[in-house]
Amino acid sequence: MSHSLAAAKTPAAGDAGTRAMPSPIRTRLLKSIVGFGLLAIVTCLVAPLIGSSPISLARVFDRSVPFSQNVDAQIFFVARMPRVVAGALVGAALATAGVVFQALLRNALATPFTLGVSAGASLGAMLAIVVGATVSAGPLSAVPLASLAGAGLAAAIVYRLATMQDRAMSTTVLLLAGVTLNSFFSALIIFVQYIADFAQLYRAMRWIMGDLDVGSFDPIVAALPMILIAFALFAWLPSSLNLLSVGADAASARGVDVGRTQRLAFVSASLATAAGVSLAGPIGFIGIVVPHLVRLIVGVDHRVVLPASALFGASFLVVCDLAARTLLAPLEIPVGVVTAMLGGPFFLWLLVRKG
Amino acid sequence: MVARPKRLIAVLAAMAVLWAAPRAATQQRSTSVTRIVSLVPALTEMLFAIGAGPQVVAVSSYDEFPPEVKSLPRVGALLDPDMERILALRPDLVISYGSQTDVQAQLARAKIRVFSYRHAGLTGVFTTLTELGAAVGRPAESERLAREIRSGLDGLQARVRGRPKPRTLLVFERDPASLRGIYVSGGLGFLHEMLGIAGGVNVFADVARESVQPSIETILARAPEVILEVRAVGLLGPSDVAQAKRVWGTVSSVPAVQHGRIAILSGDHLVVPGPRVVQGTEAFARALHPDAFK
Amino acid sequence: MLLASELSYGYASAGHPARSFMLDSVSLSVERGSLTGLLGPNGCGKTTLLKLLSGVLQPQRGVVSLNGASLAGRSRRDIARHLAVVPQETHPAFDYTVMEMVLMGRHPHLGPFELEGPSDLALAHDALSATGTEHLATRAYMTLSGGEKQRVVIASALTQSPDVLLLDEPTASLDLGYQLEMATLLRRLNLERGVTMVLATHDLNLAASLCDRLVLMRNGRVVAQGPTREVLTAATIRRIYDVDADVSFHAPAGHITVTPLRRVQ
Repeated sequence: MSHSLAAAKTPAAGDAGTRAMPSPIRTRLLKSIVGFGLLAIVTCLVAPLIGSSPISLARVFDRSVPFSQNVDAQIFFVARMPRVVAGALVGAALATAGVVFQALLRNALATPFTLGVSAGASLGAMLAIVVGATVSAGPLSAVPLASLAGAGLAAAIVYRLATMQDRAMSTTVLLLAGVTLNSFFSALIIFVQYIADFAQLYRAMRWIMGDLDVGSFDPIVAALPMILIAFALFAWLPSSLNLLSVGADAASARGVDVGRTQRLAFVSASLATAAGVSLAGPIGFIGIVVPHLVRLIVGVDHRVVLPASALFGASFLVVCDLAARTLLAPLEIPVGVVTAMLGGPFFLWLLVRKG
Repeated sequence: MVARPKRLIAVLAAMAVLWAAPRAATQQRSTSVTRIVSLVPALTEMLFAIGAGPQVVAVSSYDEFPPEVKSLPRVGALLDPDMERILALRPDLVISYGSQTDVQAQLARAKIRVFSYRHAGLTGVFTTLTELGAAVGRPAESERLAREIRSGLDGLQARVRGRPKPRTLLVFERDPASLRGIYVSGGLGFLHEMLGIAGGVNVFADVARESVQPSIETILARAPEVILEVRAVGLLGPSDVAQAKRVWGTVSSVPAVQHGRIAILSGDHLVVPGPRVVQGTEAFARALHPDAFK
Repeated sequence: MLLASELSYGYASAGHPARSFMLDSVSLSVERGSLTGLLGPNGCGKTTLLKLLSGVLQPQRGVVSLNGASLAGRSRRDIARHLAVVPQETHPAFDYTVMEMVLMGRHPHLGPFELEGPSDLALAHDALSATGTEHLATRAYMTLSGGEKQRVVIASALTQSPDVLLLDEPTASLDLGYQLEMATLLRRLNLERGVTMVLATHDLNLAASLCDRLVLMRNGRVVAQGPTREVLTAATIRRIYDVDADVSFHAPAGHITVTPLRRVQ
């Protein structure tokens, strides 16, 4: 490549010694992934060891006792393990969806729930509960299936509205469509709750509070393909998101296909959100607390923020769920309440800091 | 004022009467109750059981028993009482939940008598029966019914006395296809008391709440010997039982699952704290101690 | 080297063809190493022309070609390796550092998952020193002054190693002092480093001081183009702005200056 600039001047590397160079992206990325990765691994290894009932690790792995009679082993493998795995997946999915939506909407206060995907998922779940649906598709039972359908519907409506003018999305239209859909679906949810009877109301309220106690790996297996696809799509986004967040025209002038990046961001983040919500209900605050905390530590380059948020999101939710299931044993605090109780004061603190 | 003591006394007396009158009205024994609207299914059942059925002109959306109520107009329930319909029926007594304060306020303004119901466990059934009997002028009938219920429950208790009491998980709600969203009875409430009379021990008796949402870990740790699922509605077929066994199969180390002691009971007599508590308790007892009923 | 021939452009959306053209048969040519100014009143189409030249917009008619090869059908990334744009204002949504902003210019040269390496960093440092912003490398972009921000954005464009730098109103949002600084910088980049530039501006005196060639536009058409001295006359200014102006060489400034006198109808 011969360019006028490069050909005309030799690099001024000799001047570099006098001041601290910002550490290159490679080392920052490596350090973040190793650091947050270790945290995630440690959290996921330790969490199943802790719970409301004391168990003996020796007995858990005692092969001489048949599994169907080994209470400790069942507590470990049936109650806690799926819960930790679900927590890690949902935490990673919602955290990264948050990062991507914030970049797409050019607003650090956006969440995975801003554009109505979660409201659609909740409405689907509510309807399935009230109607008493029993249809299932493979490992997906009625309520998760319906919540996926609701999420898909909401995302499709927002997408269509935002791309009506031309194939590049207007962030204003996106935001307006999403917020409107949110309000509309929330009103429908309230109505569905109103016409539900007591039993259905119990189940509906329980679902909305968020619940990681899946009890088996089936629901996780059902949600896994979507989460994996979302993550695969995420991998293409970070550097384009950097450029996009500086300005759409500027990004275009630097070689980013703006329309395609926006569509990819919207679809992948909606997929991750839909999968997470269908698995565990709408657990709030992860999609905004985790990206913010990560940015405070690693900076704002999406190539670092995205993977770091996935890893930290996993740890964060697993720890929140640990608190939820142990603090008030034998009662459980809904995990959405724990994330909110951590998230709310965190934001107040952020506001005070900035102000 | 002191110069006109007679007038002062008259005013005070009037105030005293006005103050006392509304209170007296609600506890007044009255034989003049001819049109009753009931928002509480348990009390509807009580009314029919003490012979006041013909006076009932409308019931709640959830009333199912006795069969006579099926032809009666519906006026909503706890969350959505239809005030217009209630008023249009010109009742002289409305039975409402204690928490429906705005309903009661509206009725008071319309000068309609209100019977306020507060759900209070199994003993509450007896207290409510007595008060209701007085309110509709049938104290003797309600007294007789109370005695019948009492002796029915005592009889059940005697029947299962001396047998070992199985540790029981009393489930009244869960997601049909999985073990998520489980609601069980805690150590309070009439379900818990019914279980005690029927000869069972609630594994969550230590939790002073009517409903508990246990995690799968907690259920595994508490290892109940019997799982009693109570469903308000729905006819049960063999596929329901098979599905329940399959769903509970994931926690196979629970003794109830290992020994196949999972019972599903269905019917609103199980969840209505009214005259049919004896039937409900008997259903529990049969599930817990089948050999006592041979 | 950059050639626009018979460009016509109108805003069209899917299913709605352009009703009227914002640019009508515009042709111009930019020589290597030149500093060309696009001049005209607001709405004359100079920003649109700039976007067409950079490939961000596609013309309904006409062709933009670089070094003989048309831009049409080339990927955005490919075009970006040769043409860089400095927008009028840059407002990033997140708190990037100066270095991060500048390194973004390397994006068209990197593969989809490639990270910047030492040579990219070296180019970035070079661009920073060329714009006199090396001391700001670790600062947060949003904390800089207006002039510093513009210089960083120019550094970022330089890091793209472009053949042509396209600038949209480079001094519009700057204070007087920073305007002079910007003009000096651009002149230096052009003279010392041979950076070819096209800048759209409504500032006549800036154009007069900087540009060796001018393209004067009105209502989407080119009214005059050529060397500054020949094109920037009272007559053309009247044609374009409906203003009588005095155009004369200003010895202290060292270049032609334009002083508006009165409006004509």
